[in-house]
Amino acid sequence: MLVLNKIHARYGAITALRGISLKVEEGELVALIGVNGAGKSTTLSTIAGVLKPVQGEIQFQGQSLVGKSPEQIIRLGIAMVPEGRDIFPSLTVEENLRLGAYTRNNRTEYKQDLDEMFELFPILGKRMNQPGGTLSGGEQQQLAIARALMSHPKLLMLDEPSLGLAPALVDQIFELVVNLHNRGVTILLVEQNVERTLDIADRAYLMRTGKIEDEGTPQHLRERVDIEGVYLGDHTPDKA
Amino acid sequence: MKTNQSISTFIKDHSTLFILIVPLLAAAIVTQFAGGLVFQRVITTLFINLILVLGLQVFMGNSGILSFSHIGFMGIGAYASVLFSMSPQAKMAALPELYPILQNVQLPFVMALLIGALIAALVGAVLGYPLMRLSDAAAVITMFGMLVIIHVVLVHWSEVTNGPRTLFGVDHLTTLWTAVIFGILAIVLAYWFRESSLGLKLRASRDDRYAAGSIGINIVIVRWMGFILSAFIAGFAGGLWAHFITSFSPSAFYLAETFTILAMLVVGGTGSVTGAVVGTVAVTLAREGLRALENGINSSGAVSIEVFGLTEVALSVFLILVLILRPGGIFGSHEIQWGKKQMLPVEENGNGIEQ
Amino acid sequence: MFTLDFVINAISLGSLYAIIALGLVIVYGILKLVNYAYGELIMIAGYMLFLLGSAGVSPWIILGITAVFTATLVSYLTELVAFRPVRTKSMTAILVTSFAVSTLLQNLVLLIVSPRSRAVPLPDLFAKSVNILGSDVSMRNILTIVISLALLGALSLLMKRTILGIALRAAAENFTMTRMLGVPANMVISVAFILSGFLAGVVALFWVGRSGSVMPTIGTAPLLIAFVACVIGGMNSLTGAVVGGYIYGIIFSLLSLFLPQSLLDYRDAFMFAIVILILLFKPEGLVKGGYVPERVG
Repeated sequence: MLVLNKIHARYGAITALRGISLKVEEGELVALIGVNGAGKSTTLSTIAGVLKPVQGEIQFQGQSLVGKSPEQIIRLGIAMVPEGRDIFPSLTVEENLRLGAYTRNNRTEYKQDLDEMFELFPILGKRMNQPGGTLSGGEQQQLAIARALMSHPKLLMLDEPSLGLAPALVDQIFELVVNLHNRGVTILLVEQNVERTLDIADRAYLMRTGKIEDEGTPQHLRERVDIEGVYLGDHTPDKA
Repeated sequence: MKTNQSISTFIKDHSTLFILIVPLLAAAIVTQFAGGLVFQRVITTLFINLILVLGLQVFMGNSGILSFSHIGFMGIGAYASVLFSMSPQAKMAALPELYPILQNVQLPFVMALLIGALIAALVGAVLGYPLMRLSDAAAVITMFGMLVIIHVVLVHWSEVTNGPRTLFGVDHLTTLWTAVIFGILAIVLAYWFRESSLGLKLRASRDDRYAAGSIGINIVIVRWMGFILSAFIAGFAGGLWAHFITSFSPSAFYLAETFTILAMLVVGGTGSVTGAVVGTVAVTLAREGLRALENGINSSGAVSIEVFGLTEVALSVFLILVLILRPGGIFGSHEIQWGKKQMLPVEENGNGIEQ
Repeated sequence: MFTLDFVINAISLGSLYAIIALGLVIVYGILKLVNYAYGELIMIAGYMLFLLGSAGVSPWIILGITAVFTATLVSYLTELVAFRPVRTKSMTAILVTSFAVSTLLQNLVLLIVSPRSRAVPLPDLFAKSVNILGSDVSMRNILTIVISLALLGALSLLMKRTILGIALRAAAENFTMTRMLGVPANMVISVAFILSGFLAGVVALFWVGRSGSVMPTIGTAPLLIAFVACVIGGMNSLTGAVVGGYIYGIIFSLLSLFLPQSLLDYRDAFMFAIVILILLFKPEGLVKGGYVPERVG
């Protein structure tokens, strides 16, 4: 469904991605793991069109994404939930969701989607008319994901959904991701919480300093992680 | 052998200075001997503009903050220097309401210029200090506010400025060579500042506020120093200009002039002394040319209406084009240098950051 | 002293200032751009009144509508031609661009029309007054208040009830995220400029209605008012700008009543000193809600 081929990306003068190649098949839950600064978020940003790659190719269902704007990319069916959630604090929950449905143009569908979201996320239903900024961290995370789902994405990209959340909420989030996966949503998940991620992913890529270091099944990567100590934070300087 | 080597190394290291100063000096010499009165005036104005724009470059180029208040300090320097250079009789005629203390003071030209510049620097230090903490939109508005405040004070402090009316009777003490010498000194000063540790720290804070702070650069102080120097230079330029034009009013130090100096700096390249010089020369010459055109059209009667503002229209269109196509200016943040592969620099985004 | 006439005048001034501030903040909120050319939009609308008036066009309502339309159009065009190409460049470049556009517009008018002040036709209605509760209240003031409130109401509806309004508010909070949800950046920005131009046009009608004339520099004073009002109210909030405008207008009316002329001359300096103080100590403005701009030290 999604194929990245030798993607290079830069922030100004700093090279953040050096030749990333990965793919996500339909229905899969693929994870990107690695320490801070490995380039995981940058990869998502590049796919979402926020960052333009300087080299390489991105294909989604046969269409090239390189050079397309974020507005175009969501219309192709890729929705992103950025790190830090990025919900609109002064807009109400309902307004946030309404904006999520911007690319759909159907009132009845909107009402149905809204009901569905409130079923999935009952707390959002309760807080429907409250400003997004008054929600707790966990609730905001739910709102961000719900908002992304309102666009009926074919591929959902989640950037560190469990970041900054209390353990109980982390459970909730991971449960939610599994739930979505079981419903057939294709997911590309970026996480620092390696343990839990490898529990639920179909496949994973290990990133370090802008490159893919390893890839494979969770089992394979678990062994790798134990050896490398990635979970604890590896500070070996890059020998590139 | 050793002295020769160190001199040639010095010249190579600081080739920028020589590349900039030598042609200017040559132009001045040519003007002195071959130029008519009009041309001499143009070149004198050019050098005064140069000092003004260099002052702007010192702060704006190195800190990245849009320094909207600059012309205000030129005004302060102009009025202050005049207060100290005019004879008591002249003051009685021009400033009837002047305070008695200032009535009888008269100082030599350069001293008056220095005092004018120092007063401008002092005002800049006091008014500017609290503003150095701000960035982005807040900095922009407060800088603009400072210009407005200075302007209002100049317009209404009649005792000292003759209010909104023209101040007459200033001695014509600024000659071509006065302007040239101080112009060259200004180039050296701006260059020195840029390469000094203070200038480097300021530029570091421009490029990355957080990184700079984390290595111990006190951004507020560093900006403040740059701002004070910038105000001093502007005040000095103001004094020179006042004694060149010999009569002026507060309206000479407001938005229209701000636009002109911004255009000069931005066109040449905000981030470098070379940019300031090149931009000033380019825009001054363009303006004179356009002015001549304007006057020609008006006096020839070719068009039935009078043509005013053509110069500014052309300049603003040109400036917009530069900002769209090459926001870093002609020279961007790179000084012109001898020996280095001097190609036009990498596309910059107007804040010294390459794209 | 506090006659009904005075009170209405103060509220009318406050209403005018509120609309002035709103026009500036709409663009600022989304683009974080302080549009120096905003004052010139008001000037251009004023000149359109003059030009049509000299051409003998009547009734006045046609002049008014055309003037507002012109300001709206010019605002839209300046975005398209000057601001859009520099949008990705640095803040400094964008600000200098807006200043250059301001200079360009002012001097174009100077070139095409005249540097001298010109009289502008006013609707007969403005000169009339109405007797309410024993005092003579100027129709112009009443109209200013009524139309301002109507505009504020309409804008409020736009912002709260329509998807466009929601998108605009979202864009002001997080432009990138709004794009990622599919809202076209260009459309949002164009709409902001169109609204800004529209408001500038309406401001012109009442601003010129107070003085009866236009000159190329007429845009500077409202621009300064907009700055002050926005800072008082908080730069990132539409309601803040409106409240700031009312506060400034009413305070100014009071000051005009009590202060001697010599002090009033320094009004602008005074107000900007206050602006600077607010930005230093309470950058989010005096009205609650709104975002805090960056501080370094």
